[in-house]
Amino acid sequence: VIVDGTLLRKLETTAFRVRHARAGRTAGDRRSTKHGSSVEFADYRNYTRGDDLRRVDWNVYARLERPFVKLFDEEEDLAVHLLLDGSASMDWGAADEHKWTYALRLAAALGVVALIAGDRLSIAVLQDRSVRRRFGPLRGRGQVLRLFDWLGGREAAGTTDLNAALRAYALSGGRAGLVVLISDLFSPAGYVEGLTALAARGHELTLVHALSPDEVEPPLAGDLRLIDVETGDPQEVTIDGRMRALYRRRLLDWQEEARATCRRRDVLYVPLETSTPLERLLLRDLRRVGLLR
Amino acid sequence: MGFLTPLALLFASLALPILVLYMLKLRRRDVSVSSTLLWRRLLRDREANAPWQRLRRNWLLILQLLLLILLTLALARPFRSVPAVVSGSAVILLDASASMRAQDVAPNRFAVAQERVNELLARRRVGQRMTVILVGPQPVALGSSADDPSLVRRALREATPTQGAADWEAAFALAAGALTGIAEPEVVVVSDGGLPAGLPSLPGAVHFVPVGRGGENVAITALATRQGGVGPQAFVRVSNFGAQPVDVRVEFTVDGALFDARRLTVPAQGEGHLTLTELPPDLRALEARLAVEDALPLDDVAWAVHTPPASGRVLLVTSGNLFLERALRALPGREVVRLAPDQPLPTEPYDLYVYDGPVDHPLPAGNVWLIGPRETVEDGWRVEVGDVFSATTPTGFATDDPLLRYVDWEDVRVLRARAVAPPPAARILIEAAGGPLLLVAERPEGRLAVLTFDLHDSDLPLHVAFPILTANVVDWLMPSAPARLPTRVKPGEPVPIALDVQAAEDTWVVDPAGARHRVARTAGSPSFAATERLGLYHVENAAGERLASFAVNLFDAGESDIAPRETIEVGRVEVRPTSGDRTARQGLWPWFAGGALTVLALEWWVYHRGGV
Repeated sequence: VIVDGTLLRKLETTAFRVRHARAGRTAGDRRSTKHGSSVEFADYRNYTRGDDLRRVDWNVYARLERPFVKLFDEEEDLAVHLLLDGSASMDWGAADEHKWTYALRLAAALGVVALIAGDRLSIAVLQDRSVRRRFGPLRGRGQVLRLFDWLGGREAAGTTDLNAALRAYALSGGRAGLVVLISDLFSPAGYVEGLTALAARGHELTLVHALSPDEVEPPLAGDLRLIDVETGDPQEVTIDGRMRALYRRRLLDWQEEARATCRRRDVLYVPLETSTPLERLLLRDLRRVGLLR
Repeated sequence: MGFLTPLALLFASLALPILVLYMLKLRRRDVSVSSTLLWRRLLRDREANAPWQRLRRNWLLILQLLLLILLTLALARPFRSVPAVVSGSAVILLDASASMRAQDVAPNRFAVAQERVNELLARRRVGQRMTVILVGPQPVALGSSADDPSLVRRALREATPTQGAADWEAAFALAAGALTGIAEPEVVVVSDGGLPAGLPSLPGAVHFVPVGRGGENVAITALATRQGGVGPQAFVRVSNFGAQPVDVRVEFTVDGALFDARRLTVPAQGEGHLTLTELPPDLRALEARLAVEDALPLDDVAWAVHTPPASGRVLLVTSGNLFLERALRALPGREVVRLAPDQPLPTEPYDLYVYDGPVDHPLPAGNVWLIGPRETVEDGWRVEVGDVFSATTPTGFATDDPLLRYVDWEDVRVLRARAVAPPPAARILIEAAGGPLLLVAERPEGRLAVLTFDLHDSDLPLHVAFPILTANVVDWLMPSAPARLPTRVKPGEPVPIALDVQAAEDTWVVDPAGARHRVARTAGSPSFAATERLGLYHVENAAGERLASFAVNLFDAGESDIAPRETIEVGRVEVRPTSGDRTARQGLWPWFAGGALTVLALEWWVYHRGGV
């Protein structure tokens, strides 16, 4: 997995952006695991019955004779989950546009962003009906080489039931945080329920829908029997100009459908063609949609 | 529809290998894709939306099978039975006589006949030879379909009906010539049936395609002038070929100006006559026209040329010469008046003065023939007569001179003659040792001929040579050209232009349309043949002076009677109109072959449209 140095330097100034302030964070009902991190004053609010008395600002009480509770913006590290669809269909595409390679490079870059920003990084490869490989959770710049090393050993193979695998991750995925799922969505069983399950866990989801150019514009013609590399299912089809036009329309419909599904679940949808340079994706497209800043 | 080679339909079994090959070809190529998910959905959508789309992929197969069917049908040589007049090679005789101009069918019979011939040409089979002959006064072969069908069609399109009667015998001879050496020859006569009786038989079958429905027609069938007691008279005969009596107005035009108009009632299928007197004495050309609307306007007008009778009057001054008088009176068209020598000359001019014996008064202005003059005649112009001589055996005889043509002088004996000094520029035709016996000369006042011996002093009147010589001399002395032109000329008939003036210079004929034709000066008697048009023709000299005229008229009851005939008679066999129950086989394979080509092109297009 190669992410070139120039890009790495540019990623130093980049970090994940959290769209929603989480109730759990500002309530401070969880002990911080991060030592030495400051607890900054945010605001006051009226005391209500049941508030922790230790949080009452007695100085203010003394002056005003009314109890106010001090609110703290508790700065906490962010949990970043990178989920890779490891099905055989991801093992597709010409050299530079190979989906799996692209997915690994993207995961490496996002992982670097997370590690540099001091976020808690977890990476998982989804295969079959579950999570087969995990990385992390780890934190800190020092883990970058380990990250690269780990990613270098990953391969896409077999079938993946995205629904099942996502549900499994939702159950076992640890702390709620940012989840970036990189997949081609070629999962016969579907992916919607899995996304719903993750969202229900409180994750903030981003779906990067990766397709290689020859999936967008298939260079096929004639009387063919198409063999699915993932499932091995054959499909007979006679492809002509008219058929290709229909395919393109169907593909756009499919992407639109995915976008709508995501919008309903407050999931960021990022359509991606693997011919797009990685740098442009990271520094422009992902910033534009609001995943990075 | 039937097939000439039905065995070729077996080629249809090639459909089997095509189907097999198509199935083999349809073994699809295996291609790996990342996912068939979208294709699967796509196909499910499409098949749900348009079930017939499944058929579309087989367009190529359908087109190929269609192509095979068309080619097989073409090879089987399909034919269609079409109603036809002829089945073999044929000669088409297209009537172009005047009656084909009748307008009883729109636009006229000839146009309808052209259409019929066109149909015949269009229906001809491949290899069937058709020759079209236009039958007018002079039949013309328009061409043969074997050469170039389009040329025949063009010639047919440009053909026009003539204004005369058709020469069917010549046309039949032409047709017989065109049909020699052809198996199963056939002749098609496209006509209104005005064929003469007694035509020779033709090789092969004869078919008759009648044209025309019949209609009312009134025609002038005769127009003639003659010299009456008071002046010229005209006689006109009007024939009605219709079923109703008609009341027509006959308009007479004299030398271009309307002279008179008469009403005439003509009974159905009958004739009416009119005699017009008190025509102007200087009448030259008379035109009679029927003011009537009928199916054939061509025969509603006629022309006549009036020849003044004064041109042939001969004054014979003699004390009595039976031989001479008889010889002169025997000449056609000559009016001979005898005068005794002691009587005074009449004041009215004569065309020829013949003096038999002494001349008592000055020579009149005009043509003169002196026979046996006794003394010198002096009248500003001198014929010097000398002594009598008896050496009368001819020493010189101008054999080549037309005046002596057919004159046999071998046994003629002359007792004595008088020596006559020939006037200047005289031609001595017969010369004896003692002097000339016959000489001719041109005077300013007229021509002169001198026979230097008294006929009573010779046995010439007893010889055959005498009437011939008399005729030759009188003809030379009286060049009466107008009388020589025929009075009745049919369209297309050649007219001999035997005018005396033609010896000197070219002659021209102006036809009714105003075109000038030069009359070829041939060795024999020249003639003018371009008389296809009805009307007045004028003979002119090179300077444009009118020398004579003649009229070309139809005057043909056979053409004017436009009622179409039910049958025609050829070689004593009655030919009925050919009915449509005869059939011919019209080959259809070019249509199938053309269709196959179209399908081939279509298949190519579909293949390319589907493949790229």
